[in-house]
Amino acid sequence: MIKRIQTIALLAVVLGLFTAFIDVGWCQATPAAQQHGNAVGAESYAKHCAICHGEQREGILPGFPPLLEVNRQLTPQQIENLIHTGKGRMPGFSKLSEEETTALIRFLATDELTAKAADGSTNVAEAGHHLFQRNCAFCHGRDAAGGETGPDLTRSKLVLSDANGAKVTDVVRNGRPDKKMPAFNFTNEEIHSIVVFIHRQATSSRPGGRRGVDVSDLQTGNAEAGKQYFNGVGGCAKCHSATGDLAGIASRFEGLQLEEEMLYPRNAKSKVTVRMATGQTMTGQLAYRDEFTIGLRDIDGVYHSWPVSRIRYTIDSPVDAHVELFSKYTDDDIHNLMAYLQTLR
Amino acid sequence: MKFWKYALIFATVTFFSALFYPLIAQNLEPSAITHPSPESWPTYHGDYSGRRHSPLTQITPENVPYLTLAWAFQTNQTAAIKSTPLLVDGILYFTVPDNIWAVDARSGHMLWHYNKPTDDGDHIGQRGVAMYKGWLYYLTPNCHLISLNAKDGSVRWDVTVADVKKGYWTTMAPLVIRNHVIIGVSGDFDNLAGYLRSIDPETGATQWQWDSTPPAGTPDSTTGGMTWMTGTYDPELNLLYWGTGNPTPVLSGKTRPGDNLYTCSIVALNPDTGKLAWGFSVSPHDTHDWDAVETPVLTDGDFHGQPRKMLMQASRNGYFFVLDRTNGKSLLTAPFGPVNWSLGVDKDGHPIPNPAKQPAPDGRLIAPDEGGLTNFRAPSFDPKTGLFIVDAHPSYSIYFSKPTDGSYGWSGADYGLWGKGVIEAIDYQTGKLRWTHEVGQGGSGAGVLTTDSGLTFTGDAHGSVLALDTNSGKTLWHAGMGAPMFSSPSTYELDRKQYLITSSGGVLFAWALPETGHKASNELF
Repeated sequence: MIKRIQTIALLAVVLGLFTAFIDVGWCQATPAAQQHGNAVGAESYAKHCAICHGEQREGILPGFPPLLEVNRQLTPQQIENLIHTGKGRMPGFSKLSEEETTALIRFLATDELTAKAADGSTNVAEAGHHLFQRNCAFCHGRDAAGGETGPDLTRSKLVLSDANGAKVTDVVRNGRPDKKMPAFNFTNEEIHSIVVFIHRQATSSRPGGRRGVDVSDLQTGNAEAGKQYFNGVGGCAKCHSATGDLAGIASRFEGLQLEEEMLYPRNAKSKVTVRMATGQTMTGQLAYRDEFTIGLRDIDGVYHSWPVSRIRYTIDSPVDAHVELFSKYTDDDIHNLMAYLQTLR
Repeated sequence: MKFWKYALIFATVTFFSALFYPLIAQNLEPSAITHPSPESWPTYHGDYSGRRHSPLTQITPENVPYLTLAWAFQTNQTAAIKSTPLLVDGILYFTVPDNIWAVDARSGHMLWHYNKPTDDGDHIGQRGVAMYKGWLYYLTPNCHLISLNAKDGSVRWDVTVADVKKGYWTTMAPLVIRNHVIIGVSGDFDNLAGYLRSIDPETGATQWQWDSTPPAGTPDSTTGGMTWMTGTYDPELNLLYWGTGNPTPVLSGKTRPGDNLYTCSIVALNPDTGKLAWGFSVSPHDTHDWDAVETPVLTDGDFHGQPRKMLMQASRNGYFFVLDRTNGKSLLTAPFGPVNWSLGVDKDGHPIPNPAKQPAPDGRLIAPDEGGLTNFRAPSFDPKTGLFIVDAHPSYSIYFSKPTDGSYGWSGADYGLWGKGVIEAIDYQTGKLRWTHEVGQGGSGAGVLTTDSGLTFTGDAHGSVLALDTNSGKTLWHAGMGAPMFSSPSTYELDRKQYLITSSGGVLFAWALPETGHKASNELF
């Protein structure tokens, strides 16, 4: 019992401290929030609720429930009662004016995206903006629309389909070694701010800064000529078939992604056969290769490696045929091939 | 009595040595850069020539298989080390963005750490500090040049050298020539003029500025020509050599007709006045982001039977250039890997850009890719074999640009398709490759160091440091460092022990021959 009282006392102190902190911290959010319709509600939420229920009303589980779509569970009257009297460890906010309470309830009824725009996420985006400039801008461009070697994130399917940032978090944390993207150590909040920034970039218009490749840009070829190239001098038909592995390829990929896959499929696998000193051989998917070590994954997914000085090995890498074509293509060949592949739906 | 006399002399000498030693230590007279001692690495490239060739011979092709770790220094930073450490009076000075370390070169323990985060400016990399007498010079991501006391890292003065709000940032290691600290700038995302600036080492005052291009807004003119890699210097000719970056808008050339001088060029300037002696366009009217900032390597020797003062550059655009550095005239221009964007080379040695290979709305297949056939990683010239050794990157990409991309900043898009790393030994008289050594898919970020004993040090794409035989390119030694190198190796000798310095991620490694157990070479131990 004493322990419980201590816990409550501690919680009260912590809450008190946080409230004081928030009072200072969120004053700066006001000007940005005022640009939006329900500035009073957003400010009130940021001031009183966000510390427990999250800046985006996402909650802090398991302790504090999310408030997104709270209006589907509770009536405005119930919400008002809850705000004024509190419940469990939630303190009551009895001194809120009627006007502020009404604004807060209205704010809680807005949908997720509106909330993001209104609840001070301009500042989250600004924080993300700073992080982005320092860590990401060189490759992905200052405006996130692509730069030295890095793709346009404002058009990235992964980013656009990733409202809560889970996929982006995965990429940022682990990097993409195959594409030379390094891994970064960011907190969840930092990554979230970067995602908010990128999403903001994707929806804001910037004269002259926009760049990227649209599906419509890649329609200059001649499908019939592409088919002839595919079956003739291109040699594509030696490995591929329009009715076999490439059937429906244009339904799986489109635009730039299709063109990149066509020119060099990055995820193509190679096969390696290793002959050991004992005469024993092992075949599997090539998993690692440098000058000194060769690694493979066997049929069960188990990784094996050897010093190359101790074994002999042969690699079957069909994707090398794509590299050989680079010096042979004309740009017309590429556009024609694209036109042909886009007929394979 | 005699004993006491000697004792007194001994005591006096000891006393004064102790007294004077701190005055001598951590001090670099500018004249010591002209003829660096083997116990120093006093500039980014080690000396003014940019050859990154060391006279040290303790580590040899015979004993290099025994090379082992002397120490490692953990910066505990996510940022990769891209700087080449300076070594002066037994202390290494190196950087990552917002950070400088002074580390004992014998033991790898830290003496001091400057750590000052900045919000603005691109934090893509930091290539190191310069030194003048007892002072260090360091460029911040937000375009400040800071002079620090080499003894403790305390700041003496701090001057702004470019406007970060306009889109400049700074990364390069300044170059000290007499009483000039030469600095360059970066900035590719805006239409800005590049420049070189000479700063007074004592006061931070600007002595002169040379602009790569006319000011932004000049009709039918280019901007760009950033100066983000350290140049080289010929004391006899008193000429400073520098490579300049790409023009802007980057991928669209419509608003900037002509050769776009002096972007993608090698320029020779008087370091006392900033006056241009000559300029040579390496990529006339570039539309592929191929900065020509790679080291302008200086060497004197025979070229086709005639003694020449030469300048060599393996350029990002895929061509290897040999110039007469007295006048900037071409001696040789030859591709050193797949290059498909030119119509050949004109009579003056300039590649002729093929208009059909400019970025287009439906894409153009281009070799090399935007990262280029080589880049910031330093090459090395080995005078004995006449080999120019470079970490090359044969690669292909597709380049796009359409009218709606505008004419500001990038103005297009490009996507790398495929590339690999190859260490290439180029015969400077012919441009032909005498040997090649593959270092992995994707390519390596490691620079090259050669030594007089016939060794070539570099790194592969996977994180191994390599020692190759300079004559044949065969691997003689390697060690996995855990992450690929993004810096260029260096070497020095202290207490008759030769160290090799490499980096990997945020860790600095010092390699040396074992102290005992192996008799490496006659003059050793």
